[in-house]
Amino acid sequence: MTNINNINRSDFQYFPFHLVTPSPWPILLSFSLLTMAIGAVMYMHGYSNGGELLSTGFILTSFGMGLWFRDVIIEGTYLGDHTRQVQKGLQLGILLFIVSEVFAFLSVFWAFFHSSLSPAIEIGGVWPPQGITPLDPFAIPLLNTILLVSSGAFVTYGHHALIHGDRRGAILGMFLTILFAVIFTILQYYEYSEAAFTMSDSVYGSSFYASTGLHGLHVIVGTIFISVAFIRLINYHLTDTHHQGCEAAILYWHFVDVVWLFLFIAVYYWGGM
Amino acid sequence: MSDSDLSSKYVLQTAGFDARFPNTNQTRHCYQNYTDYFKCVAAKGEDFAPCKQFKRAYNSLCPNEWISKFDDQRENGTFPASLEP
Repeated sequence: MTNINNINRSDFQYFPFHLVTPSPWPILLSFSLLTMAIGAVMYMHGYSNGGELLSTGFILTSFGMGLWFRDVIIEGTYLGDHTRQVQKGLQLGILLFIVSEVFAFLSVFWAFFHSSLSPAIEIGGVWPPQGITPLDPFAIPLLNTILLVSSGAFVTYGHHALIHGDRRGAILGMFLTILFAVIFTILQYYEYSEAAFTMSDSVYGSSFYASTGLHGLHVIVGTIFISVAFIRLINYHLTDTHHQGCEAAILYWHFVDVVWLFLFIAVYYWGGM
Repeated sequence: MSDSDLSSKYVLQTAGFDARFPNTNQTRHCYQNYTDYFKCVAAKGEDFAPCKQFKRAYNSLCPNEWISKFDDQRENGTFPASLEP
């Protein structure tokens, strides 16, 4: 049609925002999260079937998230609902989410410094505590630092390639990012299995595994996030000027990298001296 | 009852101010003196008189429950500090 008249006016909206159609995912996801939370508590306190409930909740949450994000991709890429204004809203959303993640990490870092700056007499008044052999920070942890920083460089290269319409460069950059991320995860798994201390080994073990473990979960989530962007890139979902999901993944990945740098300096290097 | 009769028999004193532990929480003060006494004895022997100062200090400062807990830990070999000189 070439003009808007009173008959077809209702087919158009005069505002740039996206009023989403009703969706079951939010309520489904909220119950899935509750199931996962209760399952986790039950498991950790030794109640029977806690582990099963946790696994069920986790699977439901994962699928719920997948289905919700799938819908967002459909709305943006296939239905054209993501005007510039909507894009900016999504960008603000991911920024605020990352800010909330920063606070989560602040709490584990606080716990670490609380126990390590004034070590209790029960652990010998020293840090690392009496009897703890920390990991050598200049072995695998240093390599992991190089891997993550390099992956940050690769993802930036890939992003710039995308902006300049260089499809091959964008795919290469994203691929190398994912490769290094996976190698990091494998090396961390190896370190975890070979370390001389467990999470139960004094407050050192607890604070070490709580902080690096929370980070590791974020690396895994970030890897999946980048992988989704990678697959979408290959499938021509993205343009050189419109790729919010990709930028969100990149921002999240840089955040993960920065947290690792703090971990390396505070927990691995200073905490192991 | 004259004060001088009593004061000639007993000298009442407690551990003096130690600038390393200026705050209300004196846990570390107690622990340090306990550790230092046994390190002193390991280095100089039990008859070395200056070591006694640490012993007097930790007996004043530390709750008796802690002293017996520390003693048990030493016997078990689980005391959380090295007592080598």
